[in-house]
Amino acid sequence: MRRLPVYIVIDTSTSMRGEPIEAVKAGLKSLIESLRHDPYALETVCLSIITYDSKAEQILPLTEVYKVILPELVAKGRSVLGEALSLLCIRYDEEVRKNTAEQKGDWKPLMFLLADGGSTGPLAKSIAEFKKRTFSVVVACAAGSKVHADVLQKITKNIVYISSNKTEDIKAYFKWISNSIGATSSKIDYCGDNDLSLEELPPMPQEIMVLHKD
Amino acid sequence: MSVVSGLLDKYGIKASLAQADDFEKWLIERNWNLYNEDKMNNRVVIENEIKKLGIRFANGTVKKDYNAQIEVPFDLVCDMWIEGLEQTGLDWTVEDITKCENKADSCADTLQENGINSDNEQQDNPEVICFCEDKNEKENPKGDKCILKIFGKPIKSGDFTIKLCYKHYGWIEGEPISYINIPIAFNPDPRSLWRNIPTPEKSLFYKPDAECEYIKVEESETTGPRKDVVAASQRGRSHAQDGKARDDHFRLHHCGESDWYILAVADGAGSAKYSRQGSRIACDTVVEYCINKLKDSTELEDAIRAYRTADDEETSRKLMANVIYSIVGNAAFSAHKTIKDQAKQTANDIPGVTVKDFATTLMFSICKKFDFGWFVASYWVGDGAMCIFNKEKGTIKLLGIPDEGEFSGQTRFLTMPEVFNDGKAIMDRLRFSIEEDFTALFLMTDGISDPMFETENNLNNFNKWAEFWDKLKNGFPDDEISGVDLKDDNEESKDQLLKWMDFWSPGNHDDRTLVILY
Repeated sequence: MRRLPVYIVIDTSTSMRGEPIEAVKAGLKSLIESLRHDPYALETVCLSIITYDSKAEQILPLTEVYKVILPELVAKGRSVLGEALSLLCIRYDEEVRKNTAEQKGDWKPLMFLLADGGSTGPLAKSIAEFKKRTFSVVVACAAGSKVHADVLQKITKNIVYISSNKTEDIKAYFKWISNSIGATSSKIDYCGDNDLSLEELPPMPQEIMVLHKD
Repeated sequence: MSVVSGLLDKYGIKASLAQADDFEKWLIERNWNLYNEDKMNNRVVIENEIKKLGIRFANGTVKKDYNAQIEVPFDLVCDMWIEGLEQTGLDWTVEDITKCENKADSCADTLQENGINSDNEQQDNPEVICFCEDKNEKENPKGDKCILKIFGKPIKSGDFTIKLCYKHYGWIEGEPISYINIPIAFNPDPRSLWRNIPTPEKSLFYKPDAECEYIKVEESETTGPRKDVVAASQRGRSHAQDGKARDDHFRLHHCGESDWYILAVADGAGSAKYSRQGSRIACDTVVEYCINKLKDSTELEDAIRAYRTADDEETSRKLMANVIYSIVGNAAFSAHKTIKDQAKQTANDIPGVTVKDFATTLMFSICKKFDFGWFVASYWVGDGAMCIFNKEKGTIKLLGIPDEGEFSGQTRFLTMPEVFNDGKAIMDRLRFSIEEDFTALFLMTDGISDPMFETENNLNNFNKWAEFWDKLKNGFPDDEISGVDLKDDNEESKDQLLKWMDFWSPGNHDDRTLVILY
């Protein structure tokens, strides 16, 4: 059984406290709910959530959608984006199955990042490591004006922007993630591959502005 | 005299009646508050401990057995029960309530609860997930816990909240009942999410969404029991979901006089618009071509007999190959050309249509039983599997190499020019074999071979084929899918096979076609 791994990386630093983190929680909740009702996604999608504040933590190991129980999210501390990427690489290597003679490996994973504000701590090494991993598509969403787009650009070409960290915008981003996962899981069913570009994913809702793309 | 004045007197305290009354009031009120405070503190401590346990329930699936259990040591609770479970269709029970009432004097000061882990099916792994830290597990004597079990089959999907109520350790009649809310989620039955929209009959190149066929070849005095052919083709769930046509096709023929069997299976490319027609043309053309060629099969049969008795294996093999090439290879090429013609013709009505829109794989085989055994010749382009299975001897023979790309779906098609580049390209795809006998000859599209074998390595593994054979015969009891009764002349097996094809395999929703000569 080939799984479609999806890594969601979320900034949970102090600046996310209050409404934004609540919006993230609500967004994740409806994301899981909608994937559970998509016959393709229910069978193939595996979800992992990595949060980063003063430290990076995988609060949800790669888990089949039907088994996912949403963990608690708390916003506090700085934003160690570099650590989050390093952790992602470690978890990727452990969790994503490779092709073997007896078993077909997983589909190429998707990654969605929600970054708020800048990042603290070293970054370059982590990005270099991250770049060595194969993803079908990596989308970074910059929430608010404090985000340094140049940092995100080093991670991916696919950068979207939500004007401020307003509840509705964050929810719209998660809704779009859930649509994108759904579309990818049915695409692999039809075409047998999941090489994607941003254009092939469902259209962005109006709250989201596309800054850069492939 | 009140009890208090008596007590005061006993301790030699002189007090007026009024003083005694006042003292009594003071004594009771003050200590009653103290007592209540103490009781409440005790309760709050336990409530926090219970919260810290982080009791969570694993997700369940509608109509699937669900089992979960919560274990809490008796030094925290003396009774537990669940409220709000009615909406879910589940039930609960507390195990060994007598032990609960005895309030076992467990010395355990840590808490734990474990889940039952029934590991039968991927959609069905009920367990209690504990997010608490498992401290000092080894030092704890097990047992002496209040065990609450939740069981049954969830009736509807969604997120629910249920109330775990408990009487904390030391609870006394009159004290409030504590509780925690626990979320519990049930997934919809994945089968219920798939729609089955019929293909519009008026659509271009319409074909039925499912088909099955049985060729009964009865025994005669001279032949003894003869092999039959059963075949079925079922539209995949992803096509059914969108009301799209089945792209697979098969065609069977048994030449009554010459006793040749001709079997063809084709899988139209999912990405090609009219591949359903491509697969049909491919099957029809090769079968018709072979019927014609085998009307007089003297040359082929002579070559087969010559090969059998030849001293010079090399030369007679070449001779054989040439004869097979002229029948089987040319049949394939003829199918390739017919599809090209169809594409041209369709392009007259629908501009822009090319042969790519008719892309299809193809495998076919001609077989006949001789006095010395079976002769099987075949051609195969694309994925899927074609195999001679001999259960008694424990052998399998794949009649070619599946053209699999790095990812599934990337295969070669009959419609690609390079497949007919030169004689060698055609020859490489031809196989022939002489078998004393065999259990079954299978032709299948990747809709069957992917879920059943997954990798090419497994396709070359006899044990995997033996497992496949067992699955065919026994069905999938867990999913209420019965097996196919492959006994001689059992015409009903065609319907059984079609039903069998509904087998459940997550992530595998392609059209499924299987032909069995047995």
